[in-house]
Amino acid sequence: MKKLLLAGLTLTAAGMLAACGGGKADQSSAAADSKADTKAATDGETAISLWTYPVGKWGDAATVDGIVKKFNEKHPEIKVTVEYLDYQNGDDQINTAIEGKQAPDIVLEGPERLVANWGAKGLMVDLKDMFEKDAASDIYDRVKSACVSPEGAYYEYPAFMVAHCMAINKTMFEKANALQYLDLDSHTWSTEDFLKAVQAVYDSGQQNVGAIYCASQGGDQGTRALVNNLYSGTFTDKDHTKYTADSPENIKALQAIVDQAGLNFDPSIAGGDEITLFRNGTLAMSFCWNASQQTNTDNGAAGLTNAGDEIIPMLFPSDDKVTELCGGIWGYGVFNNGDEKKIEAAKTFIDFVCNDESEVKESVKASGFFPVRPSVTGVYDGTDNAETMKLFEDKFMPSMGDYYQVTKGWTTARTEWWNMLQRIGTGGDVATEVATFTKNANAAAAQ
Amino acid sequence: MAKGVYTTRSKELVRRETTSAYLFLLPSLVFFIGFVIIPMIICVYTSFFDSTMGKDAKDVFIGFGNYIELFRDGIFLKALKNTFVIVIISVPVVCIFSLWVSSVIYNLNDKVLSVFRCIFYLPVVTGSVAVTVVWKWMYNNYYGIFNYIGKSSGILKTNINWLGDERFALACIILILLTTSVGQPIVLYVSALGNVDNSLVEAAQVDGANEMQLFWKIKWPQIMPTTLYILVITTINSFQCFALIQLLTSGGPNHSTDTVMYYIYYMAFKMFRYGYGNAMGVVLAIFIAVLSAVQFRLAKEK
Repeated sequence: MKKLLLAGLTLTAAGMLAACGGGKADQSSAAADSKADTKAATDGETAISLWTYPVGKWGDAATVDGIVKKFNEKHPEIKVTVEYLDYQNGDDQINTAIEGKQAPDIVLEGPERLVANWGAKGLMVDLKDMFEKDAASDIYDRVKSACVSPEGAYYEYPAFMVAHCMAINKTMFEKANALQYLDLDSHTWSTEDFLKAVQAVYDSGQQNVGAIYCASQGGDQGTRALVNNLYSGTFTDKDHTKYTADSPENIKALQAIVDQAGLNFDPSIAGGDEITLFRNGTLAMSFCWNASQQTNTDNGAAGLTNAGDEIIPMLFPSDDKVTELCGGIWGYGVFNNGDEKKIEAAKTFIDFVCNDESEVKESVKASGFFPVRPSVTGVYDGTDNAETMKLFEDKFMPSMGDYYQVTKGWTTARTEWWNMLQRIGTGGDVATEVATFTKNANAAAAQ
Repeated sequence: MAKGVYTTRSKELVRRETTSAYLFLLPSLVFFIGFVIIPMIICVYTSFFDSTMGKDAKDVFIGFGNYIELFRDGIFLKALKNTFVIVIISVPVVCIFSLWVSSVIYNLNDKVLSVFRCIFYLPVVTGSVAVTVVWKWMYNNYYGIFNYIGKSSGILKTNINWLGDERFALACIILILLTTSVGQPIVLYVSALGNVDNSLVEAAQVDGANEMQLFWKIKWPQIMPTTLYILVITTINSFQCFALIQLLTSGGPNHSTDTVMYYIYYMAFKMFRYGYGNAMGVVLAIFIAVLSAVQFRLAKEK
């Protein structure tokens, strides 16, 4: 009996030792799963892994499984396994996988990660050959330029895009007689009219008209766009080599925000919280909006707040009425895992979801955003959102501005931005704090 | 001859029992070595390197470079200060409050005692995320219950951004930490007070000792080991305050709620500066070890 017990214990210990030995492979469950699936591929079959961030329904297994199923009808020789990431932990998972030599074959994300981060580190495959095909010939130039590295390598094949905007609560603006300051045809307003409108809504008894959220980087494109557009400032130089947020235009804009009653710096909320507060009627405007938010039906009918007030999407106010919206461009990057067969299989998959006539619209529709080339039209025709998406396509997408998120040191710059807003919100001198931001961000860019 | 046989058998018995004991210990020992000792060694080792993910030159030996940078890093120093504020406030408050509650409830009847234990232990067994989300709602700048009560009772004129105002944010974190920290000490103190030798208490009462004298002269020395354990555990927990910060403030506003643990996480897993993060970990471990040693020493002297 005792010998049996000892044998059992020895086996347990051996099992644990084996588990410890396998620890490195288990650094990421996603990596381990992908590896297991890769092994499961039979002869003649190439197994590839696709990791997606939650871009619309590209974070939804049922939708993505459907897309993979259609892909396999055309390419049964390629087995695709999918892992779903979130923005909270996704970067950690991918970086851990990279360190453990378990990087996925394909990842769905934007140029700030694919080009400026992993691409710049030499981890991605140059997809230039895909851009030389006919299907890629009419991809918008501004989109192409965001997908290419300074050295000329294409680390992202773009799939869909959106321009982030802001929104207002029409009922609150009506009550404050502030609708007069908005051009509802073009969905634009001047800086002067914007400030007048905020003041009017504030005077009507709405203490919290808009929130300069800065708890973290979530939704920071909104605060950046607001500041940069008010007096036509820029976030970086045109070549994306340095950060220029300390320009007189940006300082003037931030000071205007500080001085304006009703616009409150709030370090306790991030972009997602601000949207919730806007939807539940606490705030009269949101700086963290886009087409996907406008068609969202999680809390009621699309385009309405929880209380049923109409939501009007707006371009950010600008002194010259030329607004540059911050864009999001999502696409596919291929990690160079040293296996040519897998790289080719990955490109085949990307070609299918981005260029196949039978699939491209469905892929874009799954994202809830817009195609990256003019030849793909009518994506939302016949859907409940057709009218809203047409509005965004016509009035907002043309204002998509420079994609500066590929500037070196971007991760640091984002962190420095919300920290700077916190300091300004707690009484810091605007010029000093903006100078600190620029110094720290440029130091990161120079590394 | 008989003695020699006896000695040999005795040695054999000891050897077999020792082997069995080691085999029983082996599973946990393997885990302890694999998941505590080895990572600790790696942590100390890496702290002497510029080990930053994505840097071209990886793992460059820089000696005490990370440690020197630490004490020049204003944010780290602020985080260190905040951590000490949390420890200095929460450790005595938790100990005194839990001792007071335990003294009041330990000799109540079993059912009432269980109810109290349950109430105070509930925040401990409730998931920290759930607790934090509820507190976040209560602290909410726009519709939180604290602002509602404050305004409706006339104490507040306007809403306070509890977690967004440097003056209040750290205090708010400490308050949550207190509510989640008192459960275990109360249970331990109730148990310790219940085990106090009654014959000594009765003898002291016969000698005319009053309640205060009974407590300080008879009960307090007997619950000292429990107090020491609670002090050490609460100190370590306070030093390691992380989840609350991560879920509520991300260290803001203006780094006013940054703690060393959160800054380690931020540097290691957001900025991917593993060497620098590990150096902070080593410094934190030294602080905890020193403080725990001081607590043991003081308790021993008493």
